[in-house]
Amino acid sequence: MSLIPLEHGIALAGLLFAIGLVGVMTRRNIVFVLMSLEIMLNSAGLAFVVAGAHHASAEGQVMFLMILTLAAAEVAVGLGLIIQLYRRFKTTDIEVLSALKG
Amino acid sequence: MDYDNAARDTINAFAPSVSWEELLWLLPHEILGATIVFAMLAIAVRRHFFVTTVITTLGLIAAALAASMQFSHLVQGAPSALVTPLFLIDAFAVFFVIVLCLGALALAILGFGYFARLDDAREEFQLLLLLATLGAVTLASSAHFVSVVIGLEMLSMALYGMIAYPIHSKVGAEHSLEAAFKYLVLSAVASATMLFGMALIYSQTGALEVVGSANSMLGYASPLALVGVMLVFVGIAFKLSLFPFHLWTPDVYEGAPLPSVALLATLGKVAVGAFFLRFLIHSHLLLNESVTLVLALLAVASILAGNVLALRQTNLKRLLAYSSIAHMGYWVVALLSGVGLGSQNMAASAAAFYLLTYAALSLGAFACLSIASSSESEAGVLSDYRGLFWRSPWLALALSVMMFGLAGIPLTAGFIAKFQVFFAAVESSQWGLLAALVLGSAIGLFYYLRVIYQMLQPAGEEGRTLRDLGLESVGSVITITLVVLFVLWAGILPEPLLVLIAALFG
Amino acid sequence: MSLLAILLILFLGGAAAWASSLLHPRLPRWIALLSVVGAMLPLVTALGDPAVSDGGWLIEYNLNWIPSLGIRFSLALDGLSALLVALTGFLGIVAISAAWNGIDERVGFFYFNLLWTLAGVVGVFTAVDLFLFFFFWEVMLIPMYFIIAIWGHENRRYAATKFFLFTQLSGMLLLISILGLVYSYSLQSGSLSFAYDDLLSVEMSAGVEWWLMLGFFVAFATKLPSVPLHSWLPDAHSQAPTAGSVLLAGVLLKTGAYGLLRFTLPLFPEASAAFAPVALTLAVVSILYCAKVALAQTDIKRLIAYTSVSHMGFVLLGIYAWNLIGMQGAVMTMLAHGLSAAALFSLAGGLQERLHTRELDKMGGLWRSAPNMAVVALFFSVAALGMPGLGNFVGEFLSLLGAFSVSIVATALAALGMILSAVYSLWVMQRVFQGEEISQSDEEGATPLSDLDARELVIYGLMMAGLVVMGMFPTVFLDYSSAAIERVVSISGSLSDGFGGR
Repeated sequence: MSLIPLEHGIALAGLLFAIGLVGVMTRRNIVFVLMSLEIMLNSAGLAFVVAGAHHASAEGQVMFLMILTLAAAEVAVGLGLIIQLYRRFKTTDIEVLSALKG
Repeated sequence: MDYDNAARDTINAFAPSVSWEELLWLLPHEILGATIVFAMLAIAVRRHFFVTTVITTLGLIAAALAASMQFSHLVQGAPSALVTPLFLIDAFAVFFVIVLCLGALALAILGFGYFARLDDAREEFQLLLLLATLGAVTLASSAHFVSVVIGLEMLSMALYGMIAYPIHSKVGAEHSLEAAFKYLVLSAVASATMLFGMALIYSQTGALEVVGSANSMLGYASPLALVGVMLVFVGIAFKLSLFPFHLWTPDVYEGAPLPSVALLATLGKVAVGAFFLRFLIHSHLLLNESVTLVLALLAVASILAGNVLALRQTNLKRLLAYSSIAHMGYWVVALLSGVGLGSQNMAASAAAFYLLTYAALSLGAFACLSIASSSESEAGVLSDYRGLFWRSPWLALALSVMMFGLAGIPLTAGFIAKFQVFFAAVESSQWGLLAALVLGSAIGLFYYLRVIYQMLQPAGEEGRTLRDLGLESVGSVITITLVVLFVLWAGILPEPLLVLIAALFG
Repeated sequence: MSLLAILLILFLGGAAAWASSLLHPRLPRWIALLSVVGAMLPLVTALGDPAVSDGGWLIEYNLNWIPSLGIRFSLALDGLSALLVALTGFLGIVAISAAWNGIDERVGFFYFNLLWTLAGVVGVFTAVDLFLFFFFWEVMLIPMYFIIAIWGHENRRYAATKFFLFTQLSGMLLLISILGLVYSYSLQSGSLSFAYDDLLSVEMSAGVEWWLMLGFFVAFATKLPSVPLHSWLPDAHSQAPTAGSVLLAGVLLKTGAYGLLRFTLPLFPEASAAFAPVALTLAVVSILYCAKVALAQTDIKRLIAYTSVSHMGFVLLGIYAWNLIGMQGAVMTMLAHGLSAAALFSLAGGLQERLHTRELDKMGGLWRSAPNMAVVALFFSVAALGMPGLGNFVGEFLSLLGAFSVSIVATALAALGMILSAVYSLWVMQRVFQGEEISQSDEEGATPLSDLDARELVIYGLMMAGLVVMGMFPTVFLDYSSAAIERVVSISGSLSDGFGGR
């Protein structure tokens, strides 16, 4: 059985990571920011799976499951905050969060 | 290779290895976990802030005691234990477990005084505090990237909640909401970056152990692994708020309620710092020139940026935020002075001492702030403290001790800590870093003295009256007293503490 | 033990003075006075004959402090430090007297700072563990900062900050140099030690010695101060309250000179010898430049501050002349200048208290309304300009004599400084006390000019007596410090031959 080369998998994960990062930095809507975060987390997960497959060890997949739970928890808290935010400001635009400045 | 077999091997490697003895080594973690469950049930039965606080403090005391017993065994020569591949219980880990539990104890007491009059559910604060402590303890004793991630996330997740805690209250909710959101997004970015870095390391070395031989310097020869290490550093630098990953710090410090900030500044920094220290000791990463270069740049930039930006602050919480950036820069200088290199543990001891001292000092500073505030109205602006010396001299004295300590003035622990960092840096001939240290400390004195200067001003109209201390603040007062005594004791007679810390690396 | 007693009395007295302000606002000054007097008693009782100690310590106190870093709590006293501690105690009393009625807000905290400064200075003069030395070096700084920043005049924050920044930055250099020295020692002996006697034996490569010496020198030259590190001093002096100026000029500056004598020269003899020409040049420049700048001042306190720098140039000159005569001259100048500068600042403070200005233009003809003050001022001006028969003359003359054997040019130029000093001293006298009396009645809030009161007369009388004794019987003091100075000279004995022969 021929595996996808490690480098290809890592490169794809890196690309996803970059997409997620750009999304976090440029998106104005908080929901999209959270989604971009998910992409970042999942790209790390993908990298783990690829690496695990390369080393033929299950640790990579264990780590992926960890990341899934982690992302779920992260989003749960994040969505909770978004609801509070929406109740207070009636918008999901990130610009409303700029009261604190140095 | 057969994939299923590999999986089974891994599972076998985990499953049968947990013996009763090993469970005993994890006693502090278990006590904390049990306390969380118990506190949750107690809240479900009946909401009572005082009872929840008592449960929390008892659990933390029990965990600290259990860890102290382990510590006395370990320093008397008991072999350190690798409990499953996830935890390494040695003198180092247990020492920090004790420190973290005691710090959390202080925070629970402070939180009680601070939130006593909150017009919302108050009990969950202690629950979140316990969760964060468990995360911090896990992180400090972790030996494996999995436990690192679990610990770090448990700490961060609890912090999201704690930062946003007064979300339903009438005043200050916008700020805490904003702070929580900023922290959540940036912390998640940092976690993702760190995870990606771990994945890169794993892809090259095939190992996830922090303390194993596979992930030592030899394993990091490949460039991709080095990139992974750098990404892990980014995550750590974010949590320690090193420049340029510090952007969240001032906003979160300003917006979050004081006990949460105190947790961020003490438990958060100590746990991550302890892990970073262990990581560097076991990986011998400082042998790599590009790693040292990156860390040196982070340190110098943090020292300069933190101190310079702190100069202009008029909000004490923001000032402390920038000061924390600078202090973490000093701390990295201690690391760079040879952690994990050679047989001398001077640098590692200096770093551990510094971490402990910094945590105590910022705990004390935030405790003073929080006793002057309550959840309805925070005394955050510097002018709130105008003339404090003439209004409540003891509080002003305590806050001055903390400021002197942070500035590294003799008679406080801060001086001994800074002295050791200087010493370690001289020993390893880090002249460039020393120059940054000198410059940073000199600038730093400015704004710490400015705080004291403000407190010494005659109280004008703008000096606000502080809240009357009620019964709920008795614990906070005791806590502040103990922290002040500790800071002075460690500044005047540091020998026992130095010996103790040297034993961690012996 | 008695050394520890001195420090403890001062530290605890400071705390007590602060606490007592809660009871009564006039209590702290009495407690402060009692503490300083009380602190001097152990010194008097402990002093033996300095000659018999042949260069060793008169009294020592040794305690294990932080063994894991090789730090000991060790204090020791020899003739040199005994003289300076005595000076500190005396000027402490002068400072308290100067503040007696002048300080009326936050009194307790003021005396706390005053006593802690004194304690820090005494600690600096007696510490023979370099960690402890640095510890006290910092301890004396913070309270002084507060004295300037809280009780200072209109521009106090700027002055206090500048003072702090200069001394703090140079202090950090000192710390690094100390650590470098200790590290060199540990490489050589395999153990850590901060003890002065241990560190004397360190062998270093020339380059290392040079850099470490430079760190020490910069720290001490800032405190001294010497050009080009002097610019904090005029600001600090003009803004500080009178008691603060007295302490600054009287004793804090002397810690710099003491540091050079005690540490820089003995610890780094070769590098210091190589550096001596530079130091001598700096000394001459300090003397001449600051004397010239002093002439251009219109603020009386700034003027005295610049003359201070100029006079401290003689100390630097004497020290780096590197022979017994020159160094003894430096010690003598330190003592005499301590008294005269403290007295002049005290007088300037008195003038400011009475006239509410420090501007020379607004003064004049005070001889008629305050004859006693004028006489006292004349005495100290004459002392400062180096009138034979008074302490300053002996000190500066010996410094010049010592420097003569080293560099005739430097000596000649420095002697020019003495002439300038005569010019500005007499000029000030003439401006302030002679001439037309400037009417004070149109000044808002000006009180009628009062002459010196009994308390002030006693204090000035004591200081005058001190200067006369120094001038008439200098051998009393010179004998006392000679053993300690000989030790410094002999440590670098082989060098001084080669150096002195030039």
